[in-house]
Parts: sequence; C-alpha cells; structure tokens
Amino acid sequence: MNVDAVSAVFREVLEISEVNADSDFFVMGGDSLLATRVLSAVARATGVELEFDDLLDAPTPNALSKKIAEAA
Amino acid sequence: MKAFSETVRLHPDRPAVTRHDRTVTYTELDAWVRATARRLGPDPGVVGVLTSRSPDTVAALLGVLAAGGVYCPIDPAYPWPRREAMIAASGCRAVIGEPGSAVPPGVRLTRLPGPADPPAAGFTAVAADDPAYILFTSGSTGEPKPVVTPRGAISVVTAGLRELFGITPDDRVLQFASLNWDTCLEEILPALTSGATLVFHDHAYSGSLRRMLRMIDAERITVLDLPTAFWHELVHHLTAERAALPPSVRLVVVGGEAVNPVRLADWRALGLGAVRLLNTYGCTETTLITHAVDLHGPHTPESGPAGPLEGGPDDRVPIGRPLPHVVERITEDGELLVGGPALALGYRDRPEATAERFTELDAAPEDGGPGDGPRRWFRTGDRVSRRPDGALLHEGRLDHQLKVRGVRVDPGEVEAQIAGHPRVGAVAVVGVPVAGHTTLAAYVVPRSPAMTASLAGEVLAYLREHVPAHLVPHRITVVPELVHTASGKVDRAGSHRRYQSAAV
Repeated sequence: MNVDAVSAVFREVLEISEVNADSDFFVMGGDSLLATRVLSAVARATGVELEFDDLLDAPTPNALSKKIAEAA
Repeated sequence: MKAFSETVRLHPDRPAVTRHDRTVTYTELDAWVRATARRLGPDPGVVGVLTSRSPDTVAALLGVLAAGGVYCPIDPAYPWPRREAMIAASGCRAVIGEPGSAVPPGVRLTRLPGPADPPAAGFTAVAADDPAYILFTSGSTGEPKPVVTPRGAISVVTAGLRELFGITPDDRVLQFASLNWDTCLEEILPALTSGATLVFHDHAYSGSLRRMLRMIDAERITVLDLPTAFWHELVHHLTAERAALPPSVRLVVVGGEAVNPVRLADWRALGLGAVRLLNTYGCTETTLITHAVDLHGPHTPESGPAGPLEGGPDDRVPIGRPLPHVVERITEDGELLVGGPALALGYRDRPEATAERFTELDAAPEDGGPGDGPRRWFRTGDRVSRRPDGALLHEGRLDHQLKVRGVRVDPGEVEAQIAGHPRVGAVAVVGVPVAGHTTLAAYVVPRSPAMTASLAGEVLAYLREHVPAHLVPHRITVVPELVHTASGKVDRAGSHRRYQSAAV
C-alpha cells in the first residue's frame, strides 16, 4: 500500500481532507476505535493484519506504508 | 463471595477462567483465591491490585474480597504520579503486583501467590455495608473521585445481572472491558457465580477486528459486553467488510454512551435475529447496570418494521427501564435520580462531594408511598425523559461531563491538570467530534507571551507524565486569550469556535 493509498484511508476514516504523508493519525483526532477502521482497510487491501500498537508506532501515512511493506 | 463458594461446590471441575492454553477450574480458582486471602491476612484494608489481562487479576480481586479487604484496581500503565495519587486517595495499605513494582513508602508490596500455595481455611465474614471496592471517576477539580461500593450492592447487582443476561454454566464470556473501571465486573462476577467460563485472549485487545472475530469463533464465545463506541466500530466492520459474527455468540451487551440509530439499523440488517442485543445504562456510583432494554433479537417484542425502535437516523435509542433492584425518580429539571440497595457509600474522604451527589429525599407516592420515610438517591447528572412504554431516553448532561471512548471525563479535571504546568496561564478543554467520536481539544494561553514557542509540546509531554491516556487531548493549541461569557467565566465552546480553524 503506497503513501497515497494510506493517506486516502486516513482521509476517509477521519472524515477530513487535509492529510499529507506526514500527518499524525492521533494528532488529527484518531483514537483507538477509529484505528480499527484503518487496520481493517489495510487488511482488506493488502492482507496484512496489523495491530493497534503498529499504528501507534507508525502513525503517519509515510511510516505506516513502510510498516505494511515490511510485514507483507 | 457466598455465591462464588456455592458455584465452586456445584461446578468443581468446570473451567472458570482461561487465557490462551491455560485453564483454571473452579476448584483451582477457589484454592488460588484462598491462598491470596491467606497471604493478605484477615481484614487487610484497601488493597491495590496492579491489573493485567490475565486470570491473575481475577484471583487477586476475589482473594481481596475473600480476606475481607477492599479491592482497588490500578493500571500499571498509568503515569507514576497518577498511580501514587490513586494509592493515597484510596487509602491502600498493601498492593498486589510483580516484585519490584513501584509503591509509595509505607505501602506493602505483595506478590500474588500461586494456586498451590497454602490456602486460608475460610473467607472473612463481612456485612452488607462493608466496602467491597474503590473505583475512580473523573472529578472537576483535577483529582479523580474514589467511589466506595459496598458488598451488598455487588451481591444484589450480580444476582440481577445473572438473571438479566441469563448466564448458564455453558456460557463463555469474553473479558473485554478495561480492568480499571467497573464494566469488567459485569463480565467477571455474573460468570463466576454461574459456573460459566471467563475468557481472556490477547486478540480481543489488539485493534484488529479480523483477529478478534476469528478468536471469538475459535474460543466459542457466547457473551460479549462491549463499550457502545466499540460496538459501533464492530457493526461498521461487519457491514463494510461483509464479515460474519461467529455463530457461538448469543448475547451482546452494550453500554457507556448513546447507541447510534444508524448503527442499530445496520445491525438489524445483518440477519442476526438469534443474537440478543441489550443496551444498558448505569453509573459507577449506582454499581454497574441500573437500566436495560432489548434492542434486537429473540427477546425483543418490538422488533420488526412496525415496532417503535425502528432505528431510523432520527430515532433516539432508549437507555432502558430500571432493573428490579432499582428505584428511579425524575426531577422537575429532568435529572434522573437512582435509589435502592445498589448505591455506593459515597466518595472516600470527600464529604462535600458526597453530599452534593448523594441526597436524601422523602419518598414520593410512586416510589414506595408515604410512610416509607426518606430515601437516599444518587443524582446521576443525566437528563432523561420517559417514553410511553416506560423506557428512558437520554437527553443530555446537566454538567459539562463528556464521554470519551465510553469513559466519563470532566473537562475541568483535564483543565486543572494542564493549569498545573508552570508556564500555562489559562486553559479551556472541549469535546470535539471527529468522525462521530468525541475527542478532547485544549486551548492554552501562555503565562507570558514570550513563552509561546514549544508550549503545546511541553504541555503534551507534561500530561503524558501525569494523567492516563484518555485524559490527554489529541490537540493542544496555544492561543493569545480565551473567550469569556458576559459573566466573566471561560466560554469553552466560544473559545473552540474562535480558534478551531487555527488548530489544524
């Protein structure tokens, strides 16, 4: 999943338009509940089942995209 | 504890608690509880327990109660100042935890014994108004308020919930709720006084709903008790991913905040007619659940397109009718008052806060009639109205309290904590909706204008060292001044309106 695709997931889940490659999911209002939607979307697109701690660790589209690539 | 002992006698070899490959039978759990009681000694006072998602915490909880003590859960992930304040405010004399865990001077740290350690011969006798546990709720002063719940309250509520949930020895109840608030006791106590099995599993808390659903299937979970906000996400997942709820599940209990009628309509479209969906309401001060209503499934006569609970976007979902042990009254302001044997004793060492929320009123004709004498009531702070069928609708709060991920948060508590930072002059905290969830945002005025740079980051770091994660605002914006009302008070909503666009 590339950075743009992850950014699109953030936009859809947070219902905001201003997301860039370095936007922090949690600073933009994401919480552990909305995180489940990000994880479900990633799993649907890539088959990679990340956990909440992975998103805490990699909270931006840039970092999360790398994490997905590593896990795939 | 009498109900637990009776269950041990009836179901000695059934599994009581499991986690992954480990199973503890009722006989083994009973021995473990007695060993814990012996380690603590009779009447150990308030005992803090550093919680973990494992059968250990169940043994510690029941062991403290068996010894005649008062259980007080403490999240080891909380920052140290918070843990220290909780231990002091609850009056803990001993803490059960791993060797090396931090405790304040003068507090005894005790390791949990193993199931095979020497057991106490019997349980310490207690009275119905002896305290059973202390849990904290958010207070407006910056200090959490320790709620003291008596033994009699948990006995009557546990019996009521066994009945409400229809728990049998065949049930397998998932342990999902945080161990730091009271909801987990809805899972633990009815299960372990019925011969049912309480199931811990790491996949319940990982954040991956795919893993969680696979685990529910593999573990043959029959009962789920979920914070409403989490259930909303589960419904979203089942709908969007066309995933199935495992067929083992027969009962889903939700509570903590208002059920979204759109999500309820989505749930009803999933074809889960055999699964009972139960909405519940209650406060820590009134012990677990006081009101409940079936929203879908085999117990719902109203279900179906002609029923009053259609789940359209404009419908509001009721919080329920009072359980048999509950008496309720609605004041002229619309505030819900709750009375009956499940009321907490009050807030420990806070007589003023206790007097403000626990009030004595003469009985009205509808709740027992004249001659019943004055009755003690808890003022819930929730405004409600009654539907023609008797179920209550939630109309809002009388104070500024918010629900953040299902947890009560007083913005005043977060403001008081932020005001403790030496470079903060003034602060307003508001609840902000993000994609339908309430999150916290803070507007901070520096004590001196020269201090603007880096203040937001400093306040964030300060909070992370002092308060649990649910009290840390996701966004802290430094502003030149707050908006005030005509009477000179800080206008939280007005401050948010003026600055929200600057806060991205």
